Amino acid sequence: MSRRSGLIPAALIVVAGAAIAAESERTGLGHQATAEELGAAGYTVFPDGKGLPQGQGTAREGKAVYQQFCAACHGRSAQGEDAAALVGGRGSLTSERPRKTVESYWPYATTLWDYIRRSMPYESPGSLTNDEIYGVVAHFLDLMNLVGEDDVLDRESLPKVEMPNRDGFVPDDRPDTGG
Amino acid sequence: MPSMARDETSKYTDLLPDGKARQFTLVMDAKSVITRPSGEQKLDRPGFCEIRGLAWSGRGAISRVEVSTDGGGSWTDAEIEGPRYAKSFTRFRSPWRWDGRRHVLMSRATDDTGYVQPTLAALLEARGRATIYHNNRIKAWEVHESGEVTNVEA
Ligand code: HEC
Repeated sequence: MSRRSGLIPAALIVVAGAAIAAESERTGLGHQATAEELGAAGYTVFPDGKGLPQGQGTAREGKAVYQQFCAACHGRSAQGEDAAALVGGRGSLTSERPRKTVESYWPYATTLWDYIRRSMPYESPGSLTNDEIYGVVAHFLDLMNLVGEDDVLDRESLPKVEMPNRDGFVPDDRPDTGG
Repeated sequence: MPSMARDETSKYTDLLPDGKARQFTLVMDAKSVITRPSGEQKLDRPGFCEIRGLAWSGRGAISRVEVSTDGGGSWTDAEIEGPRYAKSFTRFRSPWRWDGRRHVLMSRATDDTGYVQPTLAALLEARGRATIYHNNRIKAWEVHESGEVTNVEA
């Protein structure tokens, strides 16, 4: 696995650390988080590409990764078999039966990268290399006609992909019922 | 900018009938449920039965809970037990005498912003059918003549 530990601002660790040290002295519970434990904070990928590691892949390469590690659950064409449908549903959001998929609903392609690294394949998350993740993400985006089969996806190009539902969100204006 | 992680963007967003989705719908509006009598329980015999339950709200503390034993036709204020904190389960209870007939029990919470828990019809009217989380509609239980208690949408 190619997890890199993130950089935690030193001041944050010192301030939080003092409070935690005092608490654990008093209660005998817990310990100050180590830099390694805090590494997870640098594990997040942001829509502007921050947090994306080195590496690259194309849809052509990713298709093979998909067939080997994902198709059993998500179906040969990612339309969903046992698990979630990843593509399709575009234009259905205003219909009686909206189909919320990655293609029709997710606002950012970087979210795919982040989620797959954290959680997929379901039984062995963390087992794909960064190149394989770039590839499989490219494969999905190719199925959605958002990139070409040989377009290289990397930390520069992935954040530039514009998802169809990018502008489909409004601020939460609840409460929408009641007093 | 937020990280726009998967669950925040695709689960904690509520799709509305116009195709736009609210982002991020993390707050839970006021909600309550009667825990006794409730689904799969059975009342042994007619007579005294204390109705009990829990209410909570993501916007503040619970200020009022009303209980209905006739499917929302009439409401009685329940007694709220302490402690009563914002975003916390708050116990309520209301004395009742079961007469052995069919009843539909409901509870309706109000929080200290003045928000009143809505009916399912009001929620559907406001949101359509595509939202999944935050279903805080007034919950009903049906008490049958046999004493059995089952889930019912009233
Ligand atoms: C053993 C079955 C299984 C395998 C294999 C699997 N997945 Fe999944 N996948 C799931 C399930 C189940 C979910 C839904 C998880 C949840 O909601 O918590 C899911 C969800 C997803 C989602 C989010 C979909 C959405 O709409 O929220 C993506 C993206 C995804 N998988 C990609 C992959 C990729 C890429 C692979 C291969 C590297 C893979 N999956 C392999 C079962 C699987």
